[in-house]
Amino acid sequence: MNDLLIDFLRGFTNSNDWSALLPEVLLALLALVILVADIVLPKGKCNWIYWVSIVGQLAILVLIGSTFAIVTQPDSNVLFGGLIEQTSSSQWMRGFFSLSALFITYIGRIYLSKHTLAHTEFYHLVLIVAAGMMLLVQSSHFIMLFVALETVTVAFYVLVAYGRTSSLSLEAGLKYLILGAMSSALLLFGIVLLYGVAGNPLLSGATGDSLNYNQLSTFIELNASNLLVQLGALLVLAGLFFKIGAFPFQIWVPDVYQGSPTPVTAYLAVASKAAGFSVLLVLVNGPFLPLSEILIPVLSVIAGATILFGNIAATSQRNVKRLMGLSGIAHAGYLLVGVVASLVVPWAYYAVLFYLFNYLFASFAVFGVMAITADSCDANQQLDDYRDLGRTQPFLGGVLAFGLGSLAGIPPLGGFIAKLFLLFAAFEAGLYSLLFISICGVVISIYYYFAWIREVFFSVESSDQNNRTVEFSTADSVVLAIIVVAIVLVGVYPGVLPLMQ
Amino acid sequence: MTIGLNAFLMVSGLLFSIGIFGVILRKNTLVIYMSLELMLNAVNLALVSFSRYNATMDGNIFVFFIITVAAAEVAVGLAIVVALYRRRQSVMVDEINALSR
Repeated sequence: MNDLLIDFLRGFTNSNDWSALLPEVLLALLALVILVADIVLPKGKCNWIYWVSIVGQLAILVLIGSTFAIVTQPDSNVLFGGLIEQTSSSQWMRGFFSLSALFITYIGRIYLSKHTLAHTEFYHLVLIVAAGMMLLVQSSHFIMLFVALETVTVAFYVLVAYGRTSSLSLEAGLKYLILGAMSSALLLFGIVLLYGVAGNPLLSGATGDSLNYNQLSTFIELNASNLLVQLGALLVLAGLFFKIGAFPFQIWVPDVYQGSPTPVTAYLAVASKAAGFSVLLVLVNGPFLPLSEILIPVLSVIAGATILFGNIAATSQRNVKRLMGLSGIAHAGYLLVGVVASLVVPWAYYAVLFYLFNYLFASFAVFGVMAITADSCDANQQLDDYRDLGRTQPFLGGVLAFGLGSLAGIPPLGGFIAKLFLLFAAFEAGLYSLLFISICGVVISIYYYFAWIREVFFSVESSDQNNRTVEFSTADSVVLAIIVVAIVLVGVYPGVLPLMQ
Repeated sequence: MTIGLNAFLMVSGLLFSIGIFGVILRKNTLVIYMSLELMLNAVNLALVSFSRYNATMDGNIFVFFIITVAAAEVAVGLAIVVALYRRRQSVMVDEINALSR
């Protein structure tokens, strides 16, 4: 028994390489440093905490970028006894989450300066969420998946309800919590079914470590027609569909997006959705690949319904945060088309990641402008509030137009190239009906995105009633300009994101 | 006599469905939280019984993670309910509907 323990410990320490998880460890440490700094620093120095967070995150972003340059081998790297598996795509997603946390911290300060709320905890939770999501996309074991996922979700419950002086924010937090906890329970029940079946000694290919993706993959290959395996896989996917806001699980999206503070809406729309999609890609192309015979029809139906629902519901929407939520559902639909295609043509995997990066740039342009133009009641921003923005603030109007144009997929912006890759992948995979639905969806989306652009630039009525002054600093314009440059650059020269090879 | 795996799974499935229907049908937020906890405990029961039947420890370990996460979730949830009650004087979900209008 003692030898067994020592053998186990030796094997465990051999496979542990904490330096591989340095960015996550540093993010969590930075989060703790911020909390301590809040106590130690004299009152009225919130700015310092903000700058510590920004500088620390920039350093971590550089660190992730440098590991990119060093680690170029395509084979994956299994660590911590199979809990963590690092691949080139998980490396890209780490960069993605680090980038989004940086931007959310930035617009978080713009939001917090308009409200009387605590600053430090917001920056803290943003960092914790980023670290959790980085672990989530690298996990290759269901316990790791669950713990990382819940770290992210529980932190998000607090962030959504962060504007606790507004009952709308609290209501959004409550709705997100109830539905989020229910989806976690569905996911867990799926995991348990898979664990129980894959460990059953009476079935062929039963394994002792049935929560591990690789072990599970070999088991499912032998028992793809087992009813419990199929049920478990579908329940796990249902839990993930909630996170990405796919069709039957999308009811929370408009309400929660509207009620939560604008930076948190942006974080949910971009990073949370991206985390859901990268886990979905890992699962569907890993352990659930042998089930593709039932997954392709199920995912296709959900993708089509998601695209149609999101786009049709968004057309009549006047509240911009709900509009972004509903159009985000449509984008989840396009991405699901890519996920289905990745089961047939492997390069669609990278098309989905490429789309996620373009979605990040375009959404951040829009949400950045939203955070700057919002007044103290930011849940009720209407399209009318943007009337004549192009005349009074040509720069903000221009940034908004670039962001919305990229979301709609107008050439030569990044969103166009990303959509082109996804649709081409769907074409190559032979998903013609999904291709048709996606193109219809894109056409509908141009209608409502351009309704917003029309409101900004070409409104007929003059805006006497809303001559609010919108103020922004030079730093804001520099950040927004960088995002616009990224949108245009990726569109003109997609090779700057060397994902598609 | 020993009780078979199926009996445990039946109970677990029953608890899980009671939980789901509780979340969907009940109007009181606190009862909804209780139903959510019931779902998680159904999962725990299934995990422990699978773990016993398959003679692997992973399930038992997983249960501790789930209990911890459930505690964190409820702590956040009750804080939100208390804050919301201060604003609205109600914990019933059909009166908390300012966003869907």
